[in-house]
Order: sequence, then structure tokens, then C-alpha cells
Amino acid sequence: MSAYLVSVLSEGAIFGIMALGLNVIWGWSGDFDLAYYGYIAVGAYMTLVLTIGPAVAPAHYILGLTLPYPVAVVVAVITAMAVGLVVGSIALRHLRGIYFSIVTLGAVYVMYVLAGQYVPLFDGYNGLSGLFDPMGDWFGFDYLSYQYFFLGLSLVLFALVFLFMWRISGSRFGMALRTLREDERAAAAFGRDIYRLKLKGYVLGAGLGGFAGALFAAYLSAFNPSAWSPVEVIVLYSAVLVGGRGNIWGVALGVLIMGVLVQESTRFLPMVPGLGQLSTLHPQVLLAMRGVIIGLVLVLFLRFRPQGLLPERRYVDPQPSLYIAPQTA
Amino acid sequence: MLVTLGFALVTASILALSAVAFTLEYAVTNVANVSHGEILTAGAYAAYLVHQRTGSPLAAAVAAALAGGLVALAMHSAVIGPFIRFGASPTVVFIATLGMSFVIQNVLVIFFGAANVAYTLDPGAPQQIGPFLLTPLDVEIIASAIAITLALFLIISRTKFGKALRAVSQNRELARVTGINATRVAASTFFLAGLVAGYAGFVLAESVGSFNPYFGFGFFLITLTAAVAGGLGRAFGTLVGAVMVGLVLEFAQTVRLPGGGYVSASYNLAFAFAILAIVILVRPRGLFTNARRTVFE
Repeated sequence: MSAYLVSVLSEGAIFGIMALGLNVIWGWSGDFDLAYYGYIAVGAYMTLVLTIGPAVAPAHYILGLTLPYPVAVVVAVITAMAVGLVVGSIALRHLRGIYFSIVTLGAVYVMYVLAGQYVPLFDGYNGLSGLFDPMGDWFGFDYLSYQYFFLGLSLVLFALVFLFMWRISGSRFGMALRTLREDERAAAAFGRDIYRLKLKGYVLGAGLGGFAGALFAAYLSAFNPSAWSPVEVIVLYSAVLVGGRGNIWGVALGVLIMGVLVQESTRFLPMVPGLGQLSTLHPQVLLAMRGVIIGLVLVLFLRFRPQGLLPERRYVDPQPSLYIAPQTA
Repeated sequence: MLVTLGFALVTASILALSAVAFTLEYAVTNVANVSHGEILTAGAYAAYLVHQRTGSPLAAAVAAALAGGLVALAMHSAVIGPFIRFGASPTVVFIATLGMSFVIQNVLVIFFGAANVAYTLDPGAPQQIGPFLLTPLDVEIIASAIAITLALFLIISRTKFGKALRAVSQNRELARVTGINATRVAASTFFLAGLVAGYAGFVLAESVGSFNPYFGFGFFLITLTAAVAGGLGRAFGTLVGAVMVGLVLEFAQTVRLPGGGYVSASYNLAFAFAILAIVILVRPRGLFTNARRTVFE
């Protein structure tokens, strides 16, 4: 396996955890949340400030501890969940539909501007760096074998999160979230506390985002405002939508297609006649072409196959009550 | 202080143009066009390219408006219209237009690169006009914004097309029953709103001094604040909302912080959204209505 493939697969596994978290909020609970990438960023930033040690002038950032990586991940996840709790408790109480989306978009831009401009927090535009091969020295890995270790770690964690989501998917909680997506009034009529349920789902999603962010920080070994943008969440949405919103197998498939295949195939775009010259213009062209493809796929799927490639299984009552056919004369 | 008020008037006029255009788009379709910002971006690029070739600011302004109108028309006929006919919910159209905005930004990056393009007209020497210190360019921007708003007002209130527009925005089905071609009215409204927004993109690029493929999206977020504050789909409420948000944003920068120093302009976006969140939570239908709020917005 080439080092390149190892890197792509590790990123894919992290991307998969992000998409599974988004699936809780959008796939099950049904809210189009634009703040999601903010929780990933909180997870990544917190992991870094907890592990890279005190700031050396002229850098400024909060905390600057040297905790062991797993402890830092736990704290980062808790922080992301706390931020999600604040945003969710404001946005979910009265707002649905586009008003919810607009407020979450606002929340993520406040986070983005704060992280990018308020220097004492995460060193502003410079961002944080210096998390090299966390846990590598515990086992004495060299650079190359660490890459394999990290790939294994990411895949195992993705599998664990997938298993966890699989359990939740069929649980009463998972079913209740889906009910809210389909018909809030009906759920309320059956005595569900809509706000609490939605908030629980939202915080769970934010926590998974933070967890993925913590892994992402280890993968990138640095994080700064040019490494993320709130709009990035569109890529995650396209993965969840293409695979099958609400179905975790679909989400995994979507990640494989949008996160790994599209990402990889765009490298070959310059070989397409006519595009080759364009791509020599400037360095961002490849990334921009990937953006165009992802955006178009999102719009086309929304229009022609909103249920995705692997649609969510509709739940059927296994023991339906007796159906009495209407009497016809 | 007076200097700030001068700046605030310029910001407010540009914001008013963009927000009124956005709210007209909302009025005839009942969906938020998230790719509205890209109309402004298209206007800025068209103005820049034409200005480079002809050297005439007037030609640049016309090109910006036309480019904006065509882009808006294309958005309506290619994405928003088909989605509405297909019966998509407002949230689905919101997602689709967000996706389109992502596509347009990236297409612009492919052709023009992501770097900032510097673009300024000579503003002339600042003059004392009434209580304000304004450059001739500022005066032109403010005057053109007032003229365009007046023209829109006349179109909406006095013409047959305006009557159809109001009918479609109040009740699309009922309007169709009376023989109005709602799709055509919506498309024409998008073209009209695009003309205004394209021009707004041109003057915004002028007053900021540079632009890039993401520049319209950033301004869209402030536009959204103004439109929601004034009431989505209400043209005149939006106008007042835009002026208020424009003033608040400029004045926020003159507030002295407790530790000394001023609030940086880079926090503008965060400020705008703080206002937006408060407005949505307290008066989700805008500041100028007493309509009850509902969970199922």
C-alpha cells in the first residue's frame, strides 16, 4: 500500500465519523444544521491547545497544556458538545426549517470570526500546530509505521462509531428522532418532548463532530482558519445525501463516493482534453473543480434522487392491529 | 463621528439595494435564494472586465446590472423554478441554492483564481455636504441607490407587472387562477432583482476596493440580516432594515472597548449575525409586524 493511499484512507475514515455525526442531526432529526463544521473545528482546536504545550511568543493561545492525546480527545469532545448545547438550545427551541439553518449559519460564522480574529483564543489567523504523531512514542513507531498505525486507529474508531450508530439507529431514541423529522405535531401528540429529544440528538451529533475534529487535528498535526471554512459542510452534506440520508450504510457509501472516490478522481481531471490547460493556470483549480462537481452532485441528487443511493428503510409495524375493511354495500 | 455617519450611509445604501433585491426574490418564490450573493459577485466581475476594456464607469455599471440580471434569471429558470414546480420544500430549495452558490464560487475560482482583484474608481476629494463628509463617489452611490429604490417602488406600486408581482407574492395559486403566469412573473422579478443586485455588486466592489469569488457570499450574510430584520418578502420593511443594519454595523466600529481600542471591522459578520439571531428569536417575522411567532416557521 502506498503512503498516499494510507493517507487518503485515514482521511476517509475521519470524514466518515464526521458524516455519521451529521447524519444524526440531518438524517434522523431532520434539521439542516450549518454550524456542524464549527464543532469539528472546536474539537480540532481544543485537542491542539491541550497537547502542544504552552505558547511561545509571539504566539498566543489559551491553556497550552501537554495532556496525553486520549485525555485531550475526551476534553475536546466534551467542549464541542458544550458548544453544541449552547447553539442547539437557542436554535432548536422555536426555530425550524430555514430559520434554524440561518441561525446556525450565524453561529458558525461567529465561531469562525472569533477563531480567526481573536488572537488570544487560538492564535488567530496563524492557528495552531505541533501535534506530531500522537501516541507514536508510546509504542516506538517511526514515521512510516506510524502512518499505518494511524490508519488502523482511524478505521477501528470509525468501525466503533458505526457500530454505536447502528445500535442507536434501531433504538427507541433513533426511532423517536425520525418521528420528529416526519411529523413533529404527531410526536408531540404522543407525548414526546420534542425540544429535549432534538437537543439530545443535536448534542450527540456535535460530540461526534468534535471527536472527528480531534482525530483530524492529529491527522493534519495543525489547524488554522485557512484549513477550514463553514462552507466545507456542503461536502459532508453531499456525502450523506448521495449515500442515503438516515441510513448509516448509505452514509458510509456516500463517504466512500464523495469523500474518497471524487477526491481521488479529480486528480485525473487534467488528463481530460481541454481541462489540462485550465488546470495549469493556478494551483486552486483542482480544488475548485472538485467543488463544482460536489455542488452539482448535491443539487442533482436533491432534485432527482433525494432518498440517495441506499434509501433509508421505512419501518413497518411488525404486528399491525387488525384492519377492518370498510363495509361496502 | 460625522465621517462614520457618511460611511454608514454608503454601506446602508449598498445594503439596501442588495437586501431589497433579495426580498423581492423571496416574495415571488417564498424560498430564500442563498446564491443571491453570487449575483453581486457576477456584477463585480462583469464591471471589472468591461471597465478594463472600455474605461467607462457607466459601461461598467450597465454590464454589472446586466450580468446580475442574467445570472439571477438563470438561477430561477435552472434551479429555483424547477424545484418549486417539483414541489420541493423551502428547506430543500435553501440547500439547493446553497449548493449552487458553492458551484458558482468555484467556477469563478477556476476562471479568475481565488486572489483578491483590486478595483477602485477615483473617489474625488471629500466634501462637506450638510453634516456629512462625503466624496463625490459616495454621493453618486447614495443618489443612485435612492433613485433605484424609487424606481422599484414605482414599478411595484404603479405598473401592471407590479400588481402581478404583489398578487403572486400574496397568494401564488390565487394569482394563477386569475390568469397570471406566476412562473413568468417570478422569472421577470428575478431578472429585475438581478439587475439591482448586480449593480449593488459593482458599487460594493468599488467602495471596498477589491473583490474575490467569495466576496458576494460574505455580503449575502449581512444582506440576510437586513432582510430578516425588515421582514422577509416585505420590500419596504427590508429597506428600513437595511438602513438600520448598515448604521449599526458602522457605528459598532466606533464603540470604544473597555480595554481601550476599537472593535475591528473584521467582526462585522459576527455582529451582523448576533443581530440576526436576536431578531429571529424575538421577532421572527421582522421588526415591523406583530404577527405571532410559531414553532413551525
